Amino acid sequence: MADQPALAVEDVVAGYGGVLALQGVSLSVRPGTITAVLGANGAGKTTLLTTISGFVRPRQGRITLDGADLTRRRPEEIARAGLAHVPEGQGVITELTVEENLRLGALWRHGHTSRAEALADAYQRFPLLASARGRSAGTLSGGERQILVIARALMARPRVLLLDEPSLGLAPKIVAQVMGLIRRLRDDTGLTVLLVEQNARSALAIADRGIVLNLGTVVAAEDAAVLAADVGLRQHYLGF
Amino acid sequence: MREFIQFTLGGISFGMVYAAIALSLVLIWRGTRILNYSQGAMAMFTTYIAFTVIGHTGNYRAGFAAALAAGLVLGAVIERTVIRPVENKPPLNAIVVTIGLLVFLEGLAGIIYGGQYRSFPPAFPITGLRAGSVALGISRNDVFVAGAVLVAALGLAVLFRYTSAGLRLRAAAFNAYAARLLGVRVGRVLTLGWALAGLIGALAGVLVSPATFLYPASMDSIFVLGFTAAVIGGLDSPVGAVVGGLILGVALNYVGGYLGSNLVPIFGLAALIVILMIRPSGLFSVGTSRQV
Repeated sequence: MADQPALAVEDVVAGYGGVLALQGVSLSVRPGTITAVLGANGAGKTTLLTTISGFVRPRQGRITLDGADLTRRRPEEIARAGLAHVPEGQGVITELTVEENLRLGALWRHGHTSRAEALADAYQRFPLLASARGRSAGTLSGGERQILVIARALMARPRVLLLDEPSLGLAPKIVAQVMGLIRRLRDDTGLTVLLVEQNARSALAIADRGIVLNLGTVVAAEDAAVLAADVGLRQHYLGF
Repeated sequence: MREFIQFTLGGISFGMVYAAIALSLVLIWRGTRILNYSQGAMAMFTTYIAFTVIGHTGNYRAGFAAALAAGLVLGAVIERTVIRPVENKPPLNAIVVTIGLLVFLEGLAGIIYGGQYRSFPPAFPITGLRAGSVALGISRNDVFVAGAVLVAALGLAVLFRYTSAGLRLRAAAFNAYAARLLGVRVGRVLTLGWALAGLIGALAGVLVSPATFLYPASMDSIFVLGFTAAVIGGLDSPVGAVVGGLILGVALNYVGGYLGSNLVPIFGLAALIVILMIRPSGLFSVGTSRQV
């Protein structure tokens, strides 16, 4: 089924305690594309990702990965189904070495290549990780950590990669590198990405589609180029 | 000088038993941030199982194996049934549950086996070893005790460092959130941690009981000293647990040898209080960043 989305979120309502951060959100991500989720603080972007990866249980709605229902499954089972979630900030296990972090990413994996090959691939693609392989991950800089968590997420050959604010806390030059990396991964390997970003301009520059969230609802879902050209929407919701 | 060597060697043997208890406490602390006050009682109970098996079969090895297997199962079952509900709850809940478990296990042992002191057989003869004409102050059994704990500690080190299960254990202990994101079934990993702790504790029980006799409260003082060893080493550090056990065992043997054995329990407690006052994170703790 060529039309089947890699990831589909249908009318999801979710939140913490009495606050419903998502109030009926629907979106779908086509295979091999980058979809950027944009919006101000408190729009529900991070809750959307944590709900998809199972840490927040939706009160209503349905989430599917390649057609398989993920709703209400546990985070570790959702990860094993092929959904990789790179969280904001705290994804690296700083007490483990770089290589141990990478090996953890390949505990289970899709596709048929061996873990050793996956590790070799990662080192080839990210030479800086190869030179730091035996170092504790806690010694890496912010940009290096971001690359490590992305490389680790790719070890399992995920069907869909969720990225939460990969630019957070990084210098502009490093942000450009990380964004360029995400785009290259999509171009080279057909990776499907759902990217949450505060930095709307650089996210739209690499995305195929853009979705704007405001107070827990989708207010726009367009091709990235269309969104970037929509001055009214940009000024109202995205602030650039 | 001869006395000093005897006290040192004898202390190493006791110290390795404290180290085993400390290791079991560290295993659980790292995984679940729970201090298992029932660790000694669990070891007492599995030693009774060994006692029963040896009584029926006359075979020490069968009893030894039965105790270790029972420790593994007991650790896993306790985690799944009574600990799981208090994980990620306020620390007091877990304290109440593990102390309750201690009282329960000691009471149950009293009901099943009675309260009398029973002698538990050593693995090897307890006659003193000699180097030439010099008495070393230790027996073949003491060597076995130290060797058995050393092998268990090295086995754990290999498991943690070189196996996939060990990587999962460490990942879940350091950052459960990130581990779950990567598909680690943290619940099962915690069960495994408790099972391993039960195994190491059971080993300590079987090894120390020839020296203490076996009765429902027989592991209480050993538990306190094992806890002290874990605190000396830092509750987070397996290596620290072993080193802490050795330091404590040797130091207490000097106290007992030079000053009198009735002072040993007091010095053990004093050591615990002093360490908690001057260096509560222990000598080997990998930093305080994780003390939320």
